[in-house]
Amino acid sequence: MWPCHRDFLSQYTHHHLVAFLLTFFSYVLLHSSRKTFSNVKISISAQWTPSILNSTLPPYSPGETWEENCLFSDSQEATLFLGALDTIFLFSYAVGLYISGVIGDRLNLRYVLSFGLCGSAVVEFVFGTVTEWMAFYNVYFYCGLWVLNGLLQSAVWPCVVTVMGNWFGKSGRGFVFGLWSACASVGNILGAFLASSVLKYGYEYVFLVTSAVQFAGGVVVFFGLLSSPKEVGLRIDSETGLLPVERDSDSHRPLMSDEEEEEEEEEEERVCDAPPTPIGFLQAFCLPGVIPYSLAYACLKLVNYSFFFWLPFYLSSNFGWPEAQADRLSIWYDVGGIIGGTVQGLISDVLGKRAPVIALSLLMAMGALVGYSHSPNDQVVNAALLATTGFFIGGPSNMISSAISADLGRQDALQGSQEALATVTGIVDGTGSLGAAAGQYLVSLIESKLNWMCVFYFFVLMTGGSVVFIIPLLVGELRSMCRSRTLQTHQL
Amino acid sequence: MCNGTVVNGSAVWDFCTSSAGQIDGRCCLQTDNTSGAVHITGLDVSYCNLIVVEDLSEASTALMIDLSFNPISNLSDLVFEGFSQLFYVILPSNLTCPGGNASWEKTEVKGEVRVCEGQINACNQTGHISWDCPQNSLCSPYGPGFFACSCVESFHGYKCLREGEFPIVEVFGILGGSTILVSLVLWVTQRRKAKAM
Repeated sequence: MWPCHRDFLSQYTHHHLVAFLLTFFSYVLLHSSRKTFSNVKISISAQWTPSILNSTLPPYSPGETWEENCLFSDSQEATLFLGALDTIFLFSYAVGLYISGVIGDRLNLRYVLSFGLCGSAVVEFVFGTVTEWMAFYNVYFYCGLWVLNGLLQSAVWPCVVTVMGNWFGKSGRGFVFGLWSACASVGNILGAFLASSVLKYGYEYVFLVTSAVQFAGGVVVFFGLLSSPKEVGLRIDSETGLLPVERDSDSHRPLMSDEEEEEEEEEEERVCDAPPTPIGFLQAFCLPGVIPYSLAYACLKLVNYSFFFWLPFYLSSNFGWPEAQADRLSIWYDVGGIIGGTVQGLISDVLGKRAPVIALSLLMAMGALVGYSHSPNDQVVNAALLATTGFFIGGPSNMISSAISADLGRQDALQGSQEALATVTGIVDGTGSLGAAAGQYLVSLIESKLNWMCVFYFFVLMTGGSVVFIIPLLVGELRSMCRSRTLQTHQL
Repeated sequence: MCNGTVVNGSAVWDFCTSSAGQIDGRCCLQTDNTSGAVHITGLDVSYCNLIVVEDLSEASTALMIDLSFNPISNLSDLVFEGFSQLFYVILPSNLTCPGGNASWEKTEVKGEVRVCEGQINACNQTGHISWDCPQNSLCSPYGPGFFACSCVESFHGYKCLREGEFPIVEVFGILGGSTILVSLVLWVTQRRKAKAM
């Protein structure tokens, strides 16, 4: 179960490392572009509105510098529109995920991934840089571009998870994926850094740099990615996951006769001759475990993304801390998520079961959320509570979206005869994104009608809902754990 | 706007000859030594039977304008917005100085004309209204009673939000070079042995 340190590392070649890094940085670039958009919102809304003065004073002159742009009459309207853009993006991203997952299982993963990265980069360039250089500000144009961006970006996640699933077999998957799913948080940090260093030249240059780097990433992926070990002749058996293990078992066998060797070779050829067929969308939907995990992920991603989008705003409006400090503090949530994903992935690898680890973590998360909502007005304590909450929420979230999707897409029910990984990942993340999109609207509604405490209770409720959806899987896995333990004691 | 030429012996005439300008119709022109551009430095539209004066923006660089002896009933202050160099205005006596008396050092009525002399920098006014310019901009005079907020050194663009020039060549040079390098290295080590799938 727990592979020896030497064996664990010896199964990985430099190809594994490159596949890990390329997929990691693809998603880093994608997430950093989303984060830069969040961070330049204030500059963009300043660009779209005229200067605001007391009504008694005359407007500033010259008009070209101060009054000319009146896409929105004041910053409140501009902020509302920017929030609407976020929701539009998440909805089209969710819809795109369902489609892209299906496409990824049918077409060459490398082409789809590069196309998604480069296409999204071009759209972002037009959205932020071209419109500013041409001084063309139009609400419908922005909305249309952002829908297109959501659809193109949705191609990336199912492809990167599938490539990782192709390269990294079942053993050690929890730990590797846990480490790998830090890509979203690293992307956030990179995006924040990019935005803060380039923003002074003008927000259009932030979009320029982000989209250029993303486009470069797409080019590098196109030339450097091996989407599966089959492309270089390596084989990964999904159950054992290790070629060296097979070699060991070979060496323990007595010298084989010629007949046995021939039989083995024929078998191998037969398996290789029949390439796996891509699974249908409805079939993938009905695979065991997909629906409960999708619904659980919808609740969880709602909480996760609401923290991502609203935390700086909550910190500055509730405690009065300046925006730069609130931005820096919100990084602790990401850090907690990275550690949580890795540690919990490791634990679930050791146990061999994922649902118990997730359920326990989510129960602790409910407590952490309540604790955080009562956080005192002290930055250190707040950061610690934030990291703890991130650990308990981000951990399961990262696991479900990556390792568990890989598990579901490579499960025994498919018997290696169907390509389902991208489709399943698309379904899980698509449902999650729908939940996140709904959450954007609900959080702002609850906060304006009630207060922040009610928002936190809403989060606790959603986390509880997550646990409820996982209960059938939890019961099943606990039962099989008990059964295997009684079997072992009987054998002894 | 009006036919004829600058009236001989008028204030504009005196000003023009003393400042070595050229008389061209009703305007006094001066060539800028450094840029070679031609500006209007004086405008004389007296005795023109003008009833309404709406747009004098072509003469916004004028130092002296004469509107006297015209049957103008009222003159909007906005006509003189942007006339930052204006220091001498002659108007029919029924009109008030643009920007009010507070915008001029000396105003007096001489018979049928009103003379406004010496535009006061609106930015220095400490009266009941103070002109505060937003961040990254400074106040500069923009005509009698007007002020403009122009961007501070190195700031530019809408609302003076942008600072400095983006080093586009360096950034794209580095990015392009490293992309090509990394792609090449990865293609050689990874994809060169890839079989068609």
